[in-house]
Amino acid sequence: MSRIAAVGDIHVGLDSVGEVARGLQHVNDRADLLLLAGDLTRCGTSDEAELVADELAGVRIPVVAVLGNHDHHGDEPGKVVEALTRAGVIVLDGTSTTVDVGGTVIGVAGAKGFGGGFAGACATAFGERAMKAFVDETRREAARLHDALVGVARRADRTVALLHYSPVEETLRGERLEIYPFLGSHLLAEAIDTAGADLVVHGHAHHGAERGVTPGGIRVRNVAQPVIGHAYRVFDLRDPAAEGRSVA
Amino acid sequence: MSADPLPTPYLLAHIQEALATDGRARELGVDVTVAGTHVVLNGTVATDAQRVAIAEVAAEVVAAHAPGHEVVNELDVMSHDEGGSVEELA
Repeated sequence: MSRIAAVGDIHVGLDSVGEVARGLQHVNDRADLLLLAGDLTRCGTSDEAELVADELAGVRIPVVAVLGNHDHHGDEPGKVVEALTRAGVIVLDGTSTTVDVGGTVIGVAGAKGFGGGFAGACATAFGERAMKAFVDETRREAARLHDALVGVARRADRTVALLHYSPVEETLRGERLEIYPFLGSHLLAEAIDTAGADLVVHGHAHHGAERGVTPGGIRVRNVAQPVIGHAYRVFDLRDPAAEGRSVA
Repeated sequence: MSADPLPTPYLLAHIQEALATDGRARELGVDVTVAGTHVVLNGTVATDAQRVAIAEVAAEVVAAHAPGHEVVNELDVMSHDEGGSVEELA
């Protein structure tokens, strides 16, 4: 078995010292890998990123993260990444990594993602430059996620897509319909379904729902901390090959 | 500035903008509604201090634009409880 702990939207600020660390006291015993689905900081400053690093100091299992929109607010995402990387966190941005868990190789492909909405009610790259830039950003994120998933699948037994924004509407239920275009995009789901994955984890939608599925049948989990109501959620991603049965 | 309260949609927009941009709050996940003369804040935020700060920011906007209105702080704080079931995914 491969136990994957995941949480997003921990929003560490200068008033958060010790809070996240307290919630991760037993994660080394409960999971083999910790995924952080973006919005690790509140304002995206390097000071806050250092605090995140401090909060993660007791975590001995591998930690893999993507940034969220809050982590970009300070316009210094590079410094945020640097602080996290110095603390041993693997930060993905259209890239991938693998973690060997007891002989099962878990591949994680990650990207922040972006908005745009969902089929039938989504933005299109038409009109003003700002609108084209908005849609192009999502297309770029989706393409990089696709390529990262395809690449990591060649060297992994199971693959996970790690995002901040949502690829499906189901995990947004509870949010106001009017803001769906700011919470995710169907382009992300299309990229995941085309490339293939065993699980999709995202955050961002604080008022959303926990469970969904892509049109291609891949499970999606919204692990935004306000949604899961715990310090993190644990998924046991079993390896069907190791257990002698096929994937449904 | 007029002493008359802003129409509700504009008041809500001013509060949401302040919660996103004021350095004490920096929060986009707060649901703000108006019931009569009450401005109600709902959602889950990271810390107790942020819960208090968000209500302060909202109260300042209300005082400036909707005198006579009152902020009702129904915000929750994130749970750091490590419990919860493990979901098996075959």
